[in-house]
Amino acid sequence: MIPRPHVDWFALAPELVLLGAMAFALMGAVLLPRENRRDFGALAAALGFAGAFVYAIVVYVHTPDVHSVIADSVRRDRFGALAQVIVCGAGLLTVGVSYAERMRDEHIAEYYAVLAAAGGGMCFLVTANNLMTLFLGLEWFSISLYILCAIDRELEGSLEAGLKYLIIGGFGSAVLLFGSALVYGATGELAFNRISAAIGDQHLSGDALLVAGLAMIIVGLGFKASAAPFHMWTPDVYEGAPTPVTGFMAAATKTAALVLTLRVLREAFPQEAHLWTIALAAIACASLLIGNLAALVQRSVKRMLAYSSISHAGFMLIPIAANNAIGARALLYYLIPYSAMSVGAFAVVAARERELAAPVTLDNLAGMGWERPLLGVAMGTFMFGFAGLPPTGGFVGKFYAFSAAYRHGWTWLVIVGVVATAVSLYYYLAVVRAMYMRPAAELQLSPTPVAGGAPPRDALLQTSVLLALGATVASFVAVEPLIHVAKHAASALPF
Amino acid sequence: MRGPDVPWYLAVAAFLFATGALGVLLRRSPLIVLLSLEIMLNGANLALIAFSRLHGESSGQIFALAVMAVAASEVVVGLGLIVAIARKRLDLDVDKLSILRG
Repeated sequence: MIPRPHVDWFALAPELVLLGAMAFALMGAVLLPRENRRDFGALAAALGFAGAFVYAIVVYVHTPDVHSVIADSVRRDRFGALAQVIVCGAGLLTVGVSYAERMRDEHIAEYYAVLAAAGGGMCFLVTANNLMTLFLGLEWFSISLYILCAIDRELEGSLEAGLKYLIIGGFGSAVLLFGSALVYGATGELAFNRISAAIGDQHLSGDALLVAGLAMIIVGLGFKASAAPFHMWTPDVYEGAPTPVTGFMAAATKTAALVLTLRVLREAFPQEAHLWTIALAAIACASLLIGNLAALVQRSVKRMLAYSSISHAGFMLIPIAANNAIGARALLYYLIPYSAMSVGAFAVVAARERELAAPVTLDNLAGMGWERPLLGVAMGTFMFGFAGLPPTGGFVGKFYAFSAAYRHGWTWLVIVGVVATAVSLYYYLAVVRAMYMRPAAELQLSPTPVAGGAPPRDALLQTSVLLALGATVASFVAVEPLIHVAKHAASALPF
Repeated sequence: MRGPDVPWYLAVAAFLFATGALGVLLRRSPLIVLLSLEIMLNGANLALIAFSRLHGESSGQIFALAVMAVAASEVVVGLGLIVAIARKRLDLDVDKLSILRG
């Protein structure tokens, strides 16, 4: 008789709800008449994300201290629960943005099923507590995302994006897996806390096998978080994927990958901190440099936002590299407005794309601020937020990230970050300028008339944008309680 | 223990992984690239199993089993994409996948 570990179903509730939503949407895709599939799939995914959101909050409230559950393979703590809340919030908004997307009609319920599955994988990943659950969670959401990128089969760009993402994402996963194997070989353990204990007991710090494995794990996570120099897939995939999916990837994938990076480095490799803090600082600088310089010359708004997401990976690696409690707090706090701004900005791009039936560039954004006041104001706020200006959470987030680096004694990193912020103002404000400050002759409601006139008002998309706008501004206004929440969550990590 | 020692298995694992990585980076046919990805994963699997033997502990072997399942699902998605692209009569050459460029 093989002893079975006790399973804490409550800790798994967010993932299970999303898996249930996936199953429901898939059944709907098969059993329901065609005209009901879209509504049913969207409803199932929305309820799934909402349920997981609520469950993650309940787990947060009921988990004042840290438990390892299911034979130490999953960690139940506030750190993971807060990340799950962010992921599920981003997923919920994405469902609203996706609803009116012109995707092929016959596979529309499957789209929502795979979206729910991707969300479930991310929720699982952020609670991973050993190298095996880490790899499984990573692949769970990655494979779902490959499908989501390629789901618009009518568009060649979408298929190409899916295949590119699969090849490069698979490469990153394989590197991470080999790194995990090396770490397992060096320590004989898979669970994060036991790896760190084994390093301490057997004096393995600096062991060649261990350091090589650690480096490969960092590289693999760098691919997932799209940090330079592992970012080359990002602009192509972000441009080719359906725009709501791009928003979801920018927000939720980055949240999951960065939160996990902090967890695995802090819990499994605290003895090697002198190595990985430097490595992450170098990756952060490279991301800031490449992301910002490449974003300066983009005309396509989706590509510009893709490079902006690379530079934000750099910004959010700064608090991780700082390796202190204030850094963990800063990362968790920053992810809240960052996710809202990402989903919101790509939602506005999706809306513009639908009314023009063409890719959105800085040129055809002209006058959008006056034509669509709500979307214009929202997009302007998101751009201010990305640039780190008040009144948005981006301002406080950057401030906290820099203060974490300063606390670590890395003034040079703060200076790099501030210079990068100054450079980024140029391209973020270019969007605002295109929307509001173009001469009247350039204003164009629809330069290429779409058959049937302007698309109907998309109430769900506008609601999602409003919610994202609300979260962006609220995270500035309600800084105190959110920092408090992030502080409790960060205290789950051993600092 | 019969047969070669664990370090030999590790050498083969590293060789497989490097072969796969070179294949992904150098080859152009998406099919061969997918194949190379599988070789990388299998190299890692062999390393996991060899280390599991070295430490006399079974969790590495369970890990390798899970990796096989994951690798299979990844290939399913990859082959599906390749078939969809072939149906659209795109060139099956990763260097010619260049609609998306900046």
